[in-house]
Amino acid sequence: MGNEAIARGALEAGVKVCAAYPGNPSSEIIGSLSSAADALDLHVEWSVNEKVAMEVVAAASFAGLRGLCSMKQNGLNVAADFLLNLNLSGTQAGLVVVVADDPGGISSTNEEDSRIFAKIGDLPLLEPATFQEAKDMTRWAFSLSEDLGLPVMIRSVTRVSHARGNVRLDALPRPATKARFDISRPRLAFPPFPNHKALHQKLERAKSIIERSPYNFYRGPEKPELLLMTSGSGWMYSLEAVMNLGVQDRVGLLKLSATWPLPDTLVLKHLKQAEAILFVEEVDPFLENNVKELFAQHCMDLGLKRFYGKASGTIPSAGEISPEIVSSALQSLLKVSDTKRPEQYAKRAREAAAELVPARALGFCAGCPHRATYWAIKKALTLDGREGFVLGDIGCYGLGMGPSGFFQMKTIHAMGSGAGLAAGFGQLERFGLSQPVLAVCGDSTFYHAAMPALVNARYNGSNFVLLLLDNSATAMTGFQPHPGTGRTATGKEAPVLDLKVICEALGAKVEVTDPFDLAAATDAMLKFLQDKEGVKVLILRRECALVRSKKQKKLYRVEVNQERCLGEMCGCNRLCTRVFKCPGLYWDRATGKAGIDEAICTGCGVCAEICPASAIRKEVA
Amino acid sequence: MNRGLKGLESKVLDQGQCAACGACLSLCPYLRSWKGRTVKLHDCDLSEGRCFSFCPRTEVDLDALHRSLFGKGYEDIETGPMRRVVMARALAQEFKKNAQNGGVVSALIDLALEDGVIQAAILTERDAELLPQGRIVKSREEVLSCSGSSYVTGYTLEALNRGPWQDEERIGVVGLPCQVLALARMKASALEKRTPIDRVDLVVGLFCTWALDYRPFTGFLKERFGDKPIQKLDITPPPERLLNVTVGNEFHQIPLDEIRAFIRPSCQVCLDMTSELSDISVGTVEGEEGWNTVIVRTARGEDLLRRAESKGVLETRGYPDDKWAHLKEASILKKQRGLNALNDVQEKYVTLPQRVIDAIMKEVAP
Repeated sequence: MGNEAIARGALEAGVKVCAAYPGNPSSEIIGSLSSAADALDLHVEWSVNEKVAMEVVAAASFAGLRGLCSMKQNGLNVAADFLLNLNLSGTQAGLVVVVADDPGGISSTNEEDSRIFAKIGDLPLLEPATFQEAKDMTRWAFSLSEDLGLPVMIRSVTRVSHARGNVRLDALPRPATKARFDISRPRLAFPPFPNHKALHQKLERAKSIIERSPYNFYRGPEKPELLLMTSGSGWMYSLEAVMNLGVQDRVGLLKLSATWPLPDTLVLKHLKQAEAILFVEEVDPFLENNVKELFAQHCMDLGLKRFYGKASGTIPSAGEISPEIVSSALQSLLKVSDTKRPEQYAKRAREAAAELVPARALGFCAGCPHRATYWAIKKALTLDGREGFVLGDIGCYGLGMGPSGFFQMKTIHAMGSGAGLAAGFGQLERFGLSQPVLAVCGDSTFYHAAMPALVNARYNGSNFVLLLLDNSATAMTGFQPHPGTGRTATGKEAPVLDLKVICEALGAKVEVTDPFDLAAATDAMLKFLQDKEGVKVLILRRECALVRSKKQKKLYRVEVNQERCLGEMCGCNRLCTRVFKCPGLYWDRATGKAGIDEAICTGCGVCAEICPASAIRKEVA
Repeated sequence: MNRGLKGLESKVLDQGQCAACGACLSLCPYLRSWKGRTVKLHDCDLSEGRCFSFCPRTEVDLDALHRSLFGKGYEDIETGPMRRVVMARALAQEFKKNAQNGGVVSALIDLALEDGVIQAAILTERDAELLPQGRIVKSREEVLSCSGSSYVTGYTLEALNRGPWQDEERIGVVGLPCQVLALARMKASALEKRTPIDRVDLVVGLFCTWALDYRPFTGFLKERFGDKPIQKLDITPPPERLLNVTVGNEFHQIPLDEIRAFIRPSCQVCLDMTSELSDISVGTVEGEEGWNTVIVRTARGEDLLRRAESKGVLETRGYPDDKWAHLKEASILKKQRGLNALNDVQEKYVTLPQRVIDAIMKEVAP
């Protein structure tokens, strides 16, 4: 896998300290490094957030040890303040920051192109285009970093990080470095002005190194009809599109290993040879705009050009790119058609697939405690009747914005934003806000970012209810451990930072309840909703269904008594399959009764509590 | 037109016309009462449902209802079907103590239970916050704990739907006119009932001119008297028009005009002062504090009253003509007010044939 290749590249460079916060599509990097930690004597940790992760790794660099931190695009936002000081203080041993973007936001709340941070921070930015490059460029990045005394950014995307391909491995070194922070060389970002000038000079040096990189190459005629400039995943898509359309003699492919700083000489050389230039890249017109800036600087020598890319609408400006998109662009620019795959075929193939694959909403797993929590929230808010609302956050429970969570969650932004917004809404009663304010926050999210919001709420006197959903895992990203789970990334025992104790220490009113006990959870929420004073924290504690199912068999054996089931009759009208909608339940149209799908049901027993006919039986398994 | 929860919601709940009778509760998971409000928990998409069918405000054809229950249409326009009317009062002291006036309702229910006419009765009790709810009673103690008037409507019939009920239990219900109307709807409903309405052998109806809406009224009391407990509430009969409140051991009087703002909107369109669909109706007697008016309507009602008279549970007297005239007049006035209110609204919560409406409106009030 691309992420495994990146990890291997780091190991081949002799990395010693690795830290990250889980985030798709980057999680497997630290995930796989953690499995090598003991054998290769590395420190690998899941940090509470990406800023801390980067700081942990920077410490290693300052002490002469190579370090790697990885994150998804949002993680770079969190770490940005540190990164944009680290560039000025400089680094010692090689430090590589791997950012795996999620074009199209397939598993993110946003779609964001993280490359801009390299430009803002005057940092070298590499974009591996193949799995071999993922490994080799990561290894090289450490040397480059040490050469320059700067962190080096590697940008990957979903299709590079998560796809698999063959990779030739190289030897693993056994560096014997003793950690030591040279206190005669303080690492200060300040004073910014001279450091910023010095940074620019480093970048110029980086430029000359990158110019000579074997990872840049050109394939095509000397004077192509169309010059296609690309980086990262765009390379393989472009190659495929060009070969499929048979236009190798018309299109020149310029693949860049680094999109910041731009290898000016190389780019200008090829710009001179073409009048039409197409940019293929993921998400923002980063490469496109940087080349246009370069062109503007030298336009008197280059003559008129036509640029195609996101600005011209040739490549969509939002969403993931694909070989089809590149092919469409080439077809329209070169006036050719794809004889190998006619357009009608693609349309018919999509229609045929749609028949086989039903549309599904993003949903909670069978037995997920969040489904029970949102059921209780919906009931409590409906009974309370004051138009109360839930401010959301990031994690599996973020799906509370959809049908699986009964549409209870009304906002979703960044890590910890639920509590942050609540701290704000909780101040608005004096301006006439009469609606109860709630926020949901996961256990991992709490350690990551919600704590300062809670401190703020206490300090500034905000009034809201924080529902802390403790399912004992960082579930959505792959069940990674966190400070509440008692285990580290490498499986060692760790102290448990008890959520209840922390919240009580912050002075909130705290109660703990089990979301599977629907009545108790609803009552606890209703009680807190009536309380107008300050911050209330209700901890809803129940292990993630998938985590539990790996450890033990089902809690209950559940079945629907077909005689007692009222089905569509007045008195039920399919409450379990129409409203509650756990995927472990199915509706049999032929018999007009509900049933349990034993393959999917995880035996949580919550449906037995909601059935109005007491038709669902749960027996201890 | 949707005749399920969607129809109930749009035609009654969203219009603020819920009478809080409780007939739609404990039938399914979609409706609940909460602190005096009827709350829809989830959407139900059935085109037809018992909630709509049992509701006393979903286009109730009173004429058809009377016909199905009594064999004749809405003819006795003054005070409903009547076999006889008497003044009555309980003889045992314990019934008179907490009761309103003659203690007749408590005494009748107690007798019906004792003699096995019924095995259980549904009365209304109030909790410390004055929130009324249905209560299943089987003993004299329990009957007495529910005595006294409230003026705040409660979800009494929810207890009927909820139960639980044993095999051979027969049930009696004491209710306000809207609740008695809902019971009649339940009996007449063409839908599969799956609710114990067929066990109900005795319906004791109460007189009612209007009732108060729990939330606004208790909000007002809280504002006026803080958190002090309300011990007793009653209304001085005319001409005084005062609400008497005993709160925190102090006695206060509030002009009724101040309280009128808290009358339930659904009372405005009510056409029934004397619970015309009951077996036997009980109310006050103008000017006679220790007595009740008792209107017997059906054979069952007659049996019970005779039983009470012969066993010395109740003392009864003939009903004075002048008081009877005043009672009928009050009843007609309420119908006229209700019909006028119905004229002004879009929805037809309760309907009567036009000739009946004309007859009612023609009745002269001095």
